[in-house]
Amino acid sequence: MAVEIFKEKNRSAVLEVVLGATREQGGTRTHTITVGGDSALPFYHFEGEIPNRPVVAMEVQDIVPEWNNALIKHFADVIDKPGLWAKKCVEEYGADLVYLKLDGAHPDGANRSVSECVQTVQEVLASVGVPLIVVGCEEADKDKELMEAVAEAAAGENLLLGCAETDNYKSLTAVCMVHKHNIIARSPLDINMCKQLNILISEMNLPLHKIVIDPSIGGLGYGIEYAYSILERARIGALQGDKMLSMPVIATVGYEAWRTKEATASTQEFPEWGDQEERGILWEATTASALLQAGVHILLMRHPKAVALVKKQIDQLMVSNKY
Amino acid sequence: MEICSVTFLPDNVTVKTEPGITIAGAARLAGIELKMPCGGEGSCGKCVVRLTKKGTTEELLACQTIVYEDIFVEVPQNVRLGEHQILLAETEQNFQTKYDFEPLCQKVAVRLSPPSLYENASDWTRLSCELSKAVGGKEVVPSLPVLQKMAHLLRKSDWHVSALLVAQNGFYELIDLQPGMATETIYGLAIDIGTTTIVIYLVDLVSGKVLGKAGTYNKQAAYGDDIITRIIHCQSPKGLKQLHDAVIDSITELTEQLLATSQVVGSKVYVITVAGNTTMIHLFLGMDPKFIRLDPYIPTAAQFPIVKGKELGLETTPEACVYCLPAVGSYVGGDIVAGVLSTGMNWADNLTLFIDIGTNGEIVLGNKEWLISCACSAGPAFEGSGITCGMRAMQGAIERVEINPVNFEVRYQTIEGTPPAGICGSGLIDCIAKLHRVGLIDRAGRFCELDKPVERLRKTDEGKEFVLAWDWETALGKDITLTEGDIQNLIRAKGAIFAGIQCLLKTVQLDFSSLERIYIAGGFGNYLNIADAIEIGLLPDLPHHLYRFVGNTSVRGAYLSLISQTALNAATEIGKKLTYLELSAGNNFMEEFISALFLPHTNLELFPNVKSTTVVRGGNSD
Ligand code: FES
Repeated sequence: MAVEIFKEKNRSAVLEVVLGATREQGGTRTHTITVGGDSALPFYHFEGEIPNRPVVAMEVQDIVPEWNNALIKHFADVIDKPGLWAKKCVEEYGADLVYLKLDGAHPDGANRSVSECVQTVQEVLASVGVPLIVVGCEEADKDKELMEAVAEAAAGENLLLGCAETDNYKSLTAVCMVHKHNIIARSPLDINMCKQLNILISEMNLPLHKIVIDPSIGGLGYGIEYAYSILERARIGALQGDKMLSMPVIATVGYEAWRTKEATASTQEFPEWGDQEERGILWEATTASALLQAGVHILLMRHPKAVALVKKQIDQLMVSNKY
Repeated sequence: MEICSVTFLPDNVTVKTEPGITIAGAARLAGIELKMPCGGEGSCGKCVVRLTKKGTTEELLACQTIVYEDIFVEVPQNVRLGEHQILLAETEQNFQTKYDFEPLCQKVAVRLSPPSLYENASDWTRLSCELSKAVGGKEVVPSLPVLQKMAHLLRKSDWHVSALLVAQNGFYELIDLQPGMATETIYGLAIDIGTTTIVIYLVDLVSGKVLGKAGTYNKQAAYGDDIITRIIHCQSPKGLKQLHDAVIDSITELTEQLLATSQVVGSKVYVITVAGNTTMIHLFLGMDPKFIRLDPYIPTAAQFPIVKGKELGLETTPEACVYCLPAVGSYVGGDIVAGVLSTGMNWADNLTLFIDIGTNGEIVLGNKEWLISCACSAGPAFEGSGITCGMRAMQGAIERVEINPVNFEVRYQTIEGTPPAGICGSGLIDCIAKLHRVGLIDRAGRFCELDKPVERLRKTDEGKEFVLAWDWETALGKDITLTEGDIQNLIRAKGAIFAGIQCLLKTVQLDFSSLERIYIAGGFGNYLNIADAIEIGLLPDLPHHLYRFVGNTSVRGAYLSLISQTALNAATEIGKKLTYLELSAGNNFMEEFISALFLPHTNLELFPNVKSTTVVRGGNSD
């Protein structure tokens, strides 16, 4: 007698979010990218559909970032030219998307003007064909102004804009609605707060399929287990039909990995830890791969070699294990 | 040393004092009680008085200002511990009292057969035998003074005497003996010691009738509004004594007032029952409550001995036996045991939820088979404390609010209809429900950005606030506002209560739908509007007829125990039987709490009847 293997039947699925817009769709991208849509736990091809592969967005900044040299050296020739930097990420390193962080706008930092930042966005848009993720400098008042301008200047491009938080989600939500962009809803690592923010945003009438969740993950060794369990709960919620938890998930992998001591301490300091760059790459790639298993859809990454490793892993995970 | 005189206005009371005392201290000497929520730490900024000297007026904190010269101090009404709607009368719910009338103190008249050469038992054996028969076979023990006068008294009264018996643990003590059929009445007091208020019933123990009720503020308020501040105060030198004295003082004053109006003398009060939260009983008995506050939160005792009034300093009723109702744990005290006792939920078939809403929300769930309880710290928001323009439910407090959904104009109703002085707990709940309903705040309690500016919604250095009443309308000539911080405070308070309810239900694997009766107790409870409370997610979304306000069940439980020994025994039973769920230990309180920090709740499905009533605003629509 054949053994019947029990399979979970899921009532619902993660929502699909489409990023970018081609010329026909009113934008200038060469193609769009769709994330989400899973009707099973991550890579459980045997229990449901995983129609879209997780994607990697490589991080580009509008000013020269204070990154570890192990990172900088791979972008040395383009690090002060965001357009070329983005191009290199896509063409040379295989980024699926570009994640442009406008850190230079911060009033306590470079304090670049809104129009300068908008120019940077346009520069990047012009130099690559992939869809774009654009986030502000994390200073509420400046971001409000900045993201309004970015949204307007890039109207039609169907960007993913961030970050909306419980304290100030209203203006970003409003501009995403007016200029038809997608929004990153960032909450502290807590399932209820995540859900609350999604409710708040959707109550302003932004459709649910325009929202991507940033649950504020922790890096490897810095609370990744907690991140894992929260992501898992969100995915289970989505599969059980909780609409307010059913958006695709984005994770700031590169940022978290490259601020750990394990990734950045020099080889001289800890010879027994091995080569620093290799460590950093593995730290970033391992963080990413754990989060992939937990159900992240968009990985925001930095190191080209880590990206290569993770993309290879995604290929393997996308091979159907149906039975 | 020089002596300064401090004159308080408008009372026009002058006290003479040595320099160096604070204005708050001088006020206490003058018999003017100030509200001091932070206990005089200088951190709450609520004890503002006006100081007039040499023609100039200054606003100062009474607890921080040292007197060093002759001054005039004006104490505004809102800083005083004023008249309060203290809940004296339990709303006349007809709880069937299953308990027999069997007061803790009884008078028994007996006739003894005189001794003879052939029947030569001692006087006491003779008497105790008869007395024991009269009280259902329980043992009776004599007190020494009675023994000392007994021989003569029995003979003088021709072996016909009235005995005064006071119930002890399992036996009676004979405390007085009078010749013949003594006719004077005997009395008892039932006392509820609340953190905020104290209520006393004067009871005729022959008929069981309540002769008078009186309530007042707990004078401990001078050392802080909440329990924690007071426990901390205990750690200062004399702190424990000050708090003990304050509660004894409050009780003595009230007792004297009650006795005077009923023309009863204190020495005729033989028994007193007391219900209060565990900390209050510790302070009342002079026990240091320090460890109630510290992990793992252990009280000195949960059952208390029977003591004499004079041992506690109750000079008005020195000989009375004082019984404190047992507690369950540090944060579920005798007041809650009294609540269970008086609502009868300990013998109910129906699954009942009992909620006492105050600074601490105490919740009991169960029926005749089992009872489980928890306490969650809601903070003082419901009592109007910790809220910018908050006040207790007293004259001038805004208790109802209407907000026009089109122009956002406000109409309000105050207690006793006087010009508004602030907003009380029920007003706050109503206000938040309405602000959300008209779309001025979102579900997280943050003000929305509207297309058009709203005059009443403004930005200050501390953030956004909503003006409920303009300065010219108010009693104090200052705008009454509600800030975003206030709203967050209230959301946390309601979130804590709701999370407590959820935790109890989940611990026994039940949900709302199984609740068949919900009792809302506590002074604040009676002014609560059920619809509002459900709308903001304080109470479960259940049909309103399941809810019942039961008022001050603490004093009622004390009263029942006073007139019925079976009730007092039942209270002891409840104290033992009630399971205490510690919310800070390994369960999902935090998770429940965070999901309750939303209007009405993160899981909107829990509030199906609230869902549809809100307007969505903010953002330009496309
Ligand atoms: S500031 Fe004086 S009592 Fe709080």
